[in-house]
Amino acid sequence: MKKKDVIKVEGLIKRYNGITALDGISFKVKEGEIFSMVGPNGAGKTTTVEICEGIKKPTSGTIQLFGEEFSTRSKGTREKIGVLPQEFRSFERLTVRETLKYYSSLYKRKRDIDEIISLMDLEDKKNELYMNLSGGLKQRVGVGMALVNDPELVFLDEPTTGLDPRARRGVWNAIKSLKEEGKTIFLTTHYMEEAEYLADRVAIVHKGRIVGQGSLSELISDHGGHYSVVLRGFDISNIEILGEEASVDSEQNVSIPVHDPKGISNILSKFMQEGVKFESMEVKRANLEEVFMTLTGTSIEEEEAAA
Amino acid sequence: MRSTAIITDFLANLRMWYRSKGTVFWSIAFPILLMLIFGAIYQGQSDLTISLYVQDLDGSEISAQFISSLGEQLKIEDIPADVDGDEYISENNIRAALIIPEDFGEAIYRVQQGSNESISLSLSLDPTRESINGIIRGVVGGTLHGWNNEITGSRDVLIYQEKSIAAEEFKFIDFFMPAVVGITVMTSTTYGTIFRNTKYRKWGILRKLSTTPFTRWEYLISKMLFMTFVSFVSTFLIILVGVLVWDISVTIDVYLFVIVVSAAFAFSGMGMIISRFVKEEETADSAAGAITFPQMFLAGTFFPLEVMPSYLRSFARVLPLYYVNEGLRDAMIYQDSSGALFNTAVIFSIAAVFFVIGALVTKWTE
Ligand SMILES: Nc1ncnc2c1ncn2[C@@H]1O[C@H](COP(=O)(O)OP(=O)(O)OP(=O)(O)O)[C@@H](O)[C@H]1O
Ligand SMILES: [Mg+2]
Repeated sequence: MKKKDVIKVEGLIKRYNGITALDGISFKVKEGEIFSMVGPNGAGKTTTVEICEGIKKPTSGTIQLFGEEFSTRSKGTREKIGVLPQEFRSFERLTVRETLKYYSSLYKRKRDIDEIISLMDLEDKKNELYMNLSGGLKQRVGVGMALVNDPELVFLDEPTTGLDPRARRGVWNAIKSLKEEGKTIFLTTHYMEEAEYLADRVAIVHKGRIVGQGSLSELISDHGGHYSVVLRGFDISNIEILGEEASVDSEQNVSIPVHDPKGISNILSKFMQEGVKFESMEVKRANLEEVFMTLTGTSIEEEEAAA
Repeated sequence: MRSTAIITDFLANLRMWYRSKGTVFWSIAFPILLMLIFGAIYQGQSDLTISLYVQDLDGSEISAQFISSLGEQLKIEDIPADVDGDEYISENNIRAALIIPEDFGEAIYRVQQGSNESISLSLSLDPTRESINGIIRGVVGGTLHGWNNEITGSRDVLIYQEKSIAAEEFKFIDFFMPAVVGITVMTSTTYGTIFRNTKYRKWGILRKLSTTPFTRWEYLISKMLFMTFVSFVSTFLIILVGVLVWDISVTIDVYLFVIVVSAAFAFSGMGMIISRFVKEEETADSAAGAITFPQMFLAGTFFPLEVMPSYLRSFARVLPLYYVNEGLRDAMIYQDSSGALFNTAVIFSIAAVFFVIGALVTKWTE
């Protein structure tokens, strides 16, 4: 069975008085999948999400939600989407349960509040004031708020930014349980692990463009190589002996992509022949981080540091 | 327009309001404290010397002598003989007055010659000052008694008839109470609006709401219902303290309602306009202070405008709070319906203009 396109964006351009935030973005989000947009600060994730949500107007391009054009979007669309804005904070002096009830009252479509509380694992905190919750719990309430109308499509804009690893896990579990319910999810993040852990398909955005998209395995096989050999303590002035594909990261470690497992033994025998010296060697499975490096020429950390 | 969303938003605001000590303080405790403190300060400020206004219609040597014997214990002020005594008393807010009749001297002379008539003086007293009235009665009665003894040895020839002064005498607290209503409505709506608009925008709540079926107009209506409601709660409590503690007689009429509602809309509108320019939540409080404090002090809240220099008086006339305060005074205290009508009309128009501009410049999305 062919899955429907819940979101279909083509040639999306957005300019803010001269600054081009989005420079021709096209992608599709299919029913029931978690689609993740990954990119550093200022890449254009929020702008894309907010245009899809109807908060911002595009400069040009076509955007369809449930097959409806942006310009003729009906009010009914709002009943079918759930949104967690970036860096969201809710009313300080309402409890978790009251907060969810508040947002629920705004919609015709409804979902049982207590069911959401248990789905988000918030039973212990439901009578706690929002202002007294930790960052991770606030984000879980935020995801819960996006579910009060039992939406078909959920937008989560950087739901785990600024959270410690444990709190992040909690939010991830909450998102996983949405996915299990068959919701379509548009997730943005600048954490590669998050996209790797949650997403069915990933779009890598950089400077207002999508530089690569597909499933995790597609991206890795297309742009990351399957494995990489990482050398520590290698004298990088001799890098040319390692071939064209070798690259150096910020800690002066050298990594060489390997496209199939057999290649690893080839590399090792080559090292023996040429007497390559290094302190230690590690074979790593390629990840999204490397895909990002290959596609953009920098690491996401460097991008963020520069921003 | 869906009323469930409006009602929920209203109730949520109410909940957040009573859970926030700061807002409860400013809309309830602060005005009550003002009423109690200022009422007490100005309460104690009665004259140490008790004045008695005397109108001497007789103008004889004997009446002059009588007045000077009263003057041993009271500070005597003159009411000119050629004016209507009662009118003069009410126009000049006089609180104690004695009118000596035209043939006072002649009549005493006639009694000394054997006439058995009696001579009646009229004593007008302000019923709200009973303790002072007791002193005045004592002095006037005692003086008359002394004179009676001298004239006949026994019979009460000279008597006084007491009248209470009908025209109301306004005290500081009468002047102050309507202004407490004015500044409370102003501060709670201005702060509330700027606070909500700035923080909710910063926190993403307005963006979130714009993705729901809740419309900007529904949101605006419920916020205005809420702020009008809080304004009436404050107004009611201020009036209650005024009546119970300071014995103010307050008129509650349609002007009071229209002015309170208009003030809530005018100051919310002003808040909405200001919050367009407030980018950071930290500056919200100072922005609200910047527009409420000058009005509080310059619009005739704590002192009558008459005591201020004329340039400040003309400045007050551009401040919305001035019309709120004046209108509330005319309506609640002075029962001056033409003044109330004028000020109500002014504040209503200000409200219409500010609110419409405010509503138009408040955007949820770009
Ligand atoms: N309202 C605006 N006015 C002007 N420029 C804007 C505005 N909003 C965003 N931008 C610019 O558009 C670009 C994309 O911003 P956007 O917020 O979409 O990035 P992002 O990928 O969500 O980043 P982050 O990870 O920091 O949230 C940035 O250069 C940003 O400065
Ligand atoms: Mg963003």
